[in-house]
Amino acid sequence: MPDSRPLPSVGELRRALDAGELSSVEITEASLERAESIDGSLRAFTGMRSEGARGDAAASDARRVEGKGLSSIDGIPVAIKDNMVMEGEPTTCASRILEGFVSPYTGTAVGKLRAAGAVIVGRTNLDEFAMGSSTEHSCFGATRNPWDLDRAPGGSSGGSAAAVAAGIVPAALGSDTGGSIRQPAAHCGVLGIKPTYGLVSRWGLVAFASSLDQIGVFARDASDAALLLGAIAGHDERDSTSIPEPVPDYRAAQTGDVSDLVIGLPREYFVSDGVDAGVLDAVRAAVAVLEAAGAKVREVSLPHTRYAVATYYLIATAEASSNLARYDGVRYGRRADDPSGLSDMYHRTRSEGFGDEVKRRIMLGTYVLSAGYYDAYYRKAQQVRGLLARDFQGAFRLCDVIATPTCPETAFRLGEKTGDPLAMYLGDIYTVSANLAGIPGVSIPCGQSSGLPVGLQLLGGTLAESTLLRVADAYQRLTDHHEARPTAV
Amino acid sequence: MAYEVVIGLEVHCQLRTDSKLFSPAPVSFGREPNHSVHPICLALPGVLPVLNRRAVELAVCAALATHCKVHTSSVFARKNYFYPDLPKGYQISQYEEPLATGGYIDIPAGGDADEGDGKATKRIGLTRIHMEEDAGKSIHDSEVTGRFATHVDLNRAGVPLLEIVSEPDLRSPAEAAVYLRTLRSILRYIDVSDADMEKGNFRCDANVSLREAGAREFGIRTELKNLNSFRNVELALGSEILRQAEILDDGGSVVQATMAFDPVSRRTRVLRLKENADDYRYFPDPDLIPLVISDADVDRIRDELPELAQARYQRFQDQYGLSEYDARQLTISRELAEFFETAVAAHGVAKTVANWVLRDLREALGERELEDAAVTPEQFAALLRLVDDGKLTPKSARGLVPELVESGGDPEAWMRERGLEALSDTGVIERAVDEVIAAHPDDVDRFRSGEQKVQNFLMGQVMKKTKGKADPAAVRELLTQKLGA
Amino acid sequence: MASLARLTYSEEETARLAADLEAILDYVETLGEVNTEGVRPMEHVLPLETPLREDRAVAAMAPDRAVANAPVAKGFAFVVPKVIDGEEEG
Ligand SMILES: [Mg+2]
Ligand SMILES: [Zn+2]
Repeated sequence: MPDSRPLPSVGELRRALDAGELSSVEITEASLERAESIDGSLRAFTGMRSEGARGDAAASDARRVEGKGLSSIDGIPVAIKDNMVMEGEPTTCASRILEGFVSPYTGTAVGKLRAAGAVIVGRTNLDEFAMGSSTEHSCFGATRNPWDLDRAPGGSSGGSAAAVAAGIVPAALGSDTGGSIRQPAAHCGVLGIKPTYGLVSRWGLVAFASSLDQIGVFARDASDAALLLGAIAGHDERDSTSIPEPVPDYRAAQTGDVSDLVIGLPREYFVSDGVDAGVLDAVRAAVAVLEAAGAKVREVSLPHTRYAVATYYLIATAEASSNLARYDGVRYGRRADDPSGLSDMYHRTRSEGFGDEVKRRIMLGTYVLSAGYYDAYYRKAQQVRGLLARDFQGAFRLCDVIATPTCPETAFRLGEKTGDPLAMYLGDIYTVSANLAGIPGVSIPCGQSSGLPVGLQLLGGTLAESTLLRVADAYQRLTDHHEARPTAV
Repeated sequence: MAYEVVIGLEVHCQLRTDSKLFSPAPVSFGREPNHSVHPICLALPGVLPVLNRRAVELAVCAALATHCKVHTSSVFARKNYFYPDLPKGYQISQYEEPLATGGYIDIPAGGDADEGDGKATKRIGLTRIHMEEDAGKSIHDSEVTGRFATHVDLNRAGVPLLEIVSEPDLRSPAEAAVYLRTLRSILRYIDVSDADMEKGNFRCDANVSLREAGAREFGIRTELKNLNSFRNVELALGSEILRQAEILDDGGSVVQATMAFDPVSRRTRVLRLKENADDYRYFPDPDLIPLVISDADVDRIRDELPELAQARYQRFQDQYGLSEYDARQLTISRELAEFFETAVAAHGVAKTVANWVLRDLREALGERELEDAAVTPEQFAALLRLVDDGKLTPKSARGLVPELVESGGDPEAWMRERGLEALSDTGVIERAVDEVIAAHPDDVDRFRSGEQKVQNFLMGQVMKKTKGKADPAAVRELLTQKLGA
Repeated sequence: MASLARLTYSEEETARLAADLEAILDYVETLGEVNTEGVRPMEHVLPLETPLREDRAVAAMAPDRAVANAPVAKGFAFVVPKVIDGEEEG
């Protein structure tokens, strides 16, 4: 196995930089080396940005020497999911249809990271257009789980989760439409936070389902996540769905105290059938730790939970079918060879350019929006969505944070679910509700089941990121599950 | 058989903004392909729409000026279809919850704006007004693109449009044309749009059907697309009505279809059948939250609305003592009305200015728009003052109007440079009169035996001799004096 | 449906897709159990009004950048196969 070493956390790198023990150039080289030595088997990245990263790192070192550091993440290597655009760089969405595309502009979240001095080292793998829960549906091939290379890292942000878990980067950006940050974070044993819808601008995030998509952060621990989220959050006039509120200091809110909080356990999530017993045990144990630290625990109810996955797939595919209409081979990306006419150009460009899962969802979405089916499917789903959101409002009158398993089971084997799309969709049962209701959620490692990481999901009300990151940080002060390192790389 | 014609019009007019509806790209006209675009106009991956405030305000103006109800909340929806000049694969438009509904405009009755007496009007209902973005331009001209290619230019993609849908209240092609002219004049009055058909920023689709006179049910309709001049609207509707009438006369039935009009052959032809009704899969655009317009916003915009044609038409009669006809004609466009008022302010006599504007100025303009003419209202008033003062004969003045329209200038300076001053020297005029009497003894005899109209002929001869510079009143007086003697 | 989405499927693919979609649609039928009478569809989770942008134009993109990603361009125009009059227009 490789002789490269995993990078430590952002916090540790920051201390080393400030103490003059390491330079950003050295850290960046270590990150690139780590990728070079293990990514051949992990395949967490779709492309590295080696030269650009080295230049950015040197510039960061120069700033630090002059005492003009931009932020606490200045000089820190970060990876971005390959569905966020950056000027002069390719964006592939792991799709053949974006072959050759180089973005002429930079998205807001990536731009804010760069303005804070972070060094973007590469783009991470994903399920094509973020549609999937395993990072197997990628034109670059599947990403492997660093805990077991025969298993999937989860998805769709599996590349970012694996890259952080394997220590190639200390933090990465992902996007979460139905669990695409939290589920791979759980499967790879890292922290992943999906903020409130509208907290992080979607400008420059390639759309999958616009009313559900949200950019978030992968990190080793809650204090790193607080720094990264603070850097990318905030109102953006280029996104009409961006929340016009100031960003709180998430790091300052991490007091370690949870004694003022009530943790709700939704009855509907803690059922034994369909959920791995080891997962339930780990999650219950984690709640007990918080309770011991002074938090109150009570049962709550989210009665429409069993309809969440169906609701999610109707809304997400409807929006996706429209969002993906722009990939037509006219202005950018791949066009089928020698089209015999316009219609042939459209059909072959799209049939050859999109993978099976994307096409399946476009078809489903086209169907549910079509005349005669709109009311029965799309409109009905939006109504149930309203009821799901109402469930959460009711629950958050009784508690501050809801604790659940992130996923019903641990990382599954590669290929195990690709033949059965519905089984794959049902794995999102605990995560999709937060996207439908627009509320924030974080997944943190809370132990293992049969040697694989288990994720504890904490959900909060609108703009409750401070509270979620405070609870996650308090938990990590009391436990060391987040210190566990994967053994396969 | 006798049929009743039923026409409804769908007008798309470009709102007068600097930037596009959802993109900050500049709105331009006539630039090279893709010289006026932004990542949003190209639908690059990751871009998002943000609504233009000015476009909303202009749309509300138009809704108020046409007596529509402006809705507090309206929703942008996606209309999904594939076409190379539609970059996102959907158009952002309004569908179930439009900006405004339920308005009307009054048009001169009888289907002729010029001959209406200004009194009889017909009320045409407006179903709805909404905002949407324009598509780009596909260039099919083989001389530019080659035989096998179409070019796509996205300069126009995303330009803000107002869609104004009328009720099926129009009953003839002429009435449809008058409706369009009236609507255009309203939109120009309130400065919402240039509404210039030639530039493509005032376009019209028409729904046409026939039904037996007296029937209640509507017939099957066809939709005529992209009628790009007032003349084509009338011609296309006329030809389509004939086509449908022939089908019905033969016992056939009209097939629902989208039609195109060929201005060369003056015939309509089927573009595509509507059998498989288009499925645009409309749904609310998740990138945009509902647009909220408060009553206070509406009131503020109402207060700022410029005086509309109807109000000005009334005022012109009251303030200037103009006839209904003249007032109607002068208020057809805001530019003409404002030109008239400024000229009256400089000249002083409204009736005189009205006559000259409606006859000579309009004739000199021909097909051109007033705003493209160089003449200022002050110059025009100066010309009329020269006539009043007897320095210029009406005939000479009339001759100067086309040039004044063309290039503008100082009429008095032209008069001097070209020696057009009216002859005030009675000696010269008298000599000319004497010469004419001497040269036409037969005509003089006929006049003396009672043929009054011969005097006009003799006058014309005198004017000719003096190259039109003699004061006609002086000539008439001298002739009467000498012939009567 | 495939043609509305501008996708092509072989016979074999069509059969598999139909089976997948049927299973998914069967599953989503469970929504029928939910009483949604009088429930307003929740298209947006944000209780906001759409923000308005001032009507200020920015400089247009350099035209060579606008077409830089185009599979086929001529001059500064995107090029597509000849569109037959009326074909697939909206
Ligand atoms: Mg329409
Ligand atoms: Zn329209």
